[in-house]
Amino acid sequence: MPTDNRPDLTTCDREPIHLPGSIQPHGVLFALADGRIVEAASANAAPLIGGPVSDACGRPLEAVFEGLDPAHLDALMGPIPADRAVRLGPVRFGRPNSGSDAARTERGAVFDVLAHRSGGLTLLELETIEPDSPSPEAADDPVAALVGRLQQTRRAGEAFADVAAVIRAVCGFDRVLIYRFDETWSGTVIAEDRNDTLPSYMDLRFPASDIPAQARDLYRRNRVRQIPDADYAPVPILGRWPEPIDLSNAVLRSVSPVHVEYMRNMGTAASMSVSILTEGRLWGLIACHNRLAKVVPPAIRATCDLVAQILAMRIAVEDVHGDAADRVTVQASHARLLTAMARATDFTAGLESAPDALLGLTRAEGAAIVHEGKVVRVGATPDPWQVQRIIGWLMSRGGEDLFATASLVEEMPGAEAFADVASGVVAVSLSRVHASHILWFRSEVVRTVTWGGDPRKQFEPIGPDTRISPRKSFEAWRQTVRATSRPWTPAEIDAARSLRQAVVEIVLKRAEELAALTEDLQRSNRELEAFSYSISHDLRAPFRHIVGYAELLSERYGPQFDDKGRHYLANITESAQTAGKLVDDLLHFSQLGRVQILPVSIDMDRLVAEVVRSLAFETRDRPITWRIDPLPPATGDASLIRQVVFNLIGNAVKYTRGKEPAEIAVRGRQTVGENGAETIFEIEDNGIGFDMTYADKLFQVFQRLNRAEAFEGTGIGLALVRRIVDRHGGRTLAFGEIGKGATFTFSLPAGPGAATRGDA
Amino acid sequence: MSSTLRPILLVEDSPKDIELTLAALAKCQLANAIDVVRDGVEALDYLHARGTFEGRNTGEPSVVLLDLKLPRVDGLEVLEAIKNDPHLRQIPVVMLTSSREERDLVTSYRLGVNAFVVKPVGFQAFLEAIQDIGVFWAILNEPPPHRLSGVARDEV
Repeated sequence: MPTDNRPDLTTCDREPIHLPGSIQPHGVLFALADGRIVEAASANAAPLIGGPVSDACGRPLEAVFEGLDPAHLDALMGPIPADRAVRLGPVRFGRPNSGSDAARTERGAVFDVLAHRSGGLTLLELETIEPDSPSPEAADDPVAALVGRLQQTRRAGEAFADVAAVIRAVCGFDRVLIYRFDETWSGTVIAEDRNDTLPSYMDLRFPASDIPAQARDLYRRNRVRQIPDADYAPVPILGRWPEPIDLSNAVLRSVSPVHVEYMRNMGTAASMSVSILTEGRLWGLIACHNRLAKVVPPAIRATCDLVAQILAMRIAVEDVHGDAADRVTVQASHARLLTAMARATDFTAGLESAPDALLGLTRAEGAAIVHEGKVVRVGATPDPWQVQRIIGWLMSRGGEDLFATASLVEEMPGAEAFADVASGVVAVSLSRVHASHILWFRSEVVRTVTWGGDPRKQFEPIGPDTRISPRKSFEAWRQTVRATSRPWTPAEIDAARSLRQAVVEIVLKRAEELAALTEDLQRSNRELEAFSYSISHDLRAPFRHIVGYAELLSERYGPQFDDKGRHYLANITESAQTAGKLVDDLLHFSQLGRVQILPVSIDMDRLVAEVVRSLAFETRDRPITWRIDPLPPATGDASLIRQVVFNLIGNAVKYTRGKEPAEIAVRGRQTVGENGAETIFEIEDNGIGFDMTYADKLFQVFQRLNRAEAFEGTGIGLALVRRIVDRHGGRTLAFGEIGKGATFTFSLPAGPGAATRGDA
Repeated sequence: MSSTLRPILLVEDSPKDIELTLAALAKCQLANAIDVVRDGVEALDYLHARGTFEGRNTGEPSVVLLDLKLPRVDGLEVLEAIKNDPHLRQIPVVMLTSSREERDLVTSYRLGVNAFVVKPVGFQAFLEAIQDIGVFWAILNEPPPHRLSGVARDEV
């Protein structure tokens, strides 16, 4: 049965390493119950005890070793922390009470001792004080100087190499690296100090699996670890304690074989790493390597830890300051956009009017606002249809409020086509129902990432069991990262989110205002309709009655009146008739706004001839010279266009009264102007004309340029002409000169074939 | 048998309009009687020979001149009632109105009006319109077979 022998790349994440049950051989471990009773010890304690570990078990520490400083014993009986080790300082372990030999033990030996609590036990870790190890005091001056420089440096980044150099000077490693984690827990070497013994790892990037999750967790809790010799033989812990001993916080803890193998593959025998923690989070490491075995004593390690934590504070301060500065810039852009939106009629126009602020808000290179099917673009963006595709894809994802990526191609199929301008995208959705979005774009930044080895080949299986072996090659492996933009910072993403909030509020507010306005309009429209209906019925009737009774009166009693009485009666009838006509004209005018226009092709030759015929009564006994050219057909509502022609020719007839002969010309032509194809008609007369100063007033309701008694009429005719022509999408013009005549022109868009301008 | 001249029914609430319409009709010198009712309820009572018109035996009117705006039941409702009633449907109805409102016109034709006349302001024009109506509907138009109103009542 075939089995999958490929190692899971996350195997390391599962291997238990905090209970190995053994320690590294460069120190000795005692596990004490009740502060002083020996329960267990590392096997290498035997020479110190002067017999097997079992000899010491069950006995108090002072019974095993003579001459222990009572102060140290008292310290052990006091409170000992569990999360970190307390350094007891150099402790002399005297000649054992039993056993023999070993010259050292006769004199007793001095150890650097660390103590911490683990479960029910106090763990004592004894490290030999090597005669040739650097003295802790020697580190004081360079560290003090470094701290001074850290305070003065403008950016923490400038101090990294300095820190690496000081650590190396203090500890004496072949190579010291400053290693920084990114969001994905991959790490990059950002500073290095070394001699020629080990190769440079500067700028190398290491995959997240190199330092697995539980190792990172341990690094967070236990800030300094060292492995003095990767080739060490683990020393078992022996004793009578019934449970496994938790060595998580023990500095001597034996490390995972995977880690040791990793070190061997790197070509380093000794390593030490110091965690750099900011706000409790693992920011990075100071990683020290030595080709040959090397021990760093506790005092020096403590100094390194101090340096790392001072560096961490410097970094944290800068992060906070940098973030604060970012947010101040962003706030300024946000405020400008709000002002712009408040001034504009709609938010789209508002955002468009402040392009710098819109781009500055997220430090984007391009932005697009997609609203009601329209795409408004600012700066460098994909084409409108590509923007629409992004929107479509976002909507298909379920339309979250905010989406951000530095590499759209990794998420959206087909995004390669516009990766040059839109590798980075932040999108906010303004509506759950409609496609309404604001998008920001960042261009592709092509960069080369150098991995410490091919990140795709991390692990090689060793043997048939589940053990894994870390990759053997640390040769730089270069990868070109494409279709990826500069990443979006949390401040920039927050800015996009808060702009979304502001726009949503503005849009909602506008929608409410609009709804209220629409309601008002509808109400006033209904009132207007009711008004015109009641005029139509109630105002018309009395005029009708007046005319009716006046006529009856004149019919029956007219002969009995004198001339004056009959004149009065005639005036009553005429006035009431005029009033009635006024009502009719007004109603007609108001109805024109509501009627539907049914455009057809109109034979204007026939229409004009018919109008002239219908004016026969008015033109009888008048010498009129008609000059009517052959006319092109018009496109429009036949009865309405007839009204236009009737009113204009009727006016020409009316205002040429007294001219002998009156001359009325009608002309027409087809043109293609800036409004597309149109048909233009002109009616020219040699009548009384008008003053061009009042040309605009001519077309307004109830505007008359002549005294009422000179020329009859309600003053609605030309207003009606303009309204009808407007409804057709045409234009009306008038030219005149007092005493010489007037020319009225109206244009109508040409038929449907020609009217779709720009397409042909 | 159409020898009997059947009346013209004028449905109009305005006394002035009644007077003017009667004056106009008088000029037509029609022999038909002219019955006048003042609102829609009366008009329907007249047509069904019920209520105050109980026992009316003047026969179906040759034409109903119906004003649009009437108290209680308006002209459109009367028109609808007439045209929905199988026994009254054939009576010609001419809508007489001040309205130029298009929707009234459309509604009237939808309900089956026989003619729709907007009363002109000028009396002369009004006279001509009324005379045309009177002559056409009361004299020229061949009325449907005569039916006694008593029969109609039994069938309602």
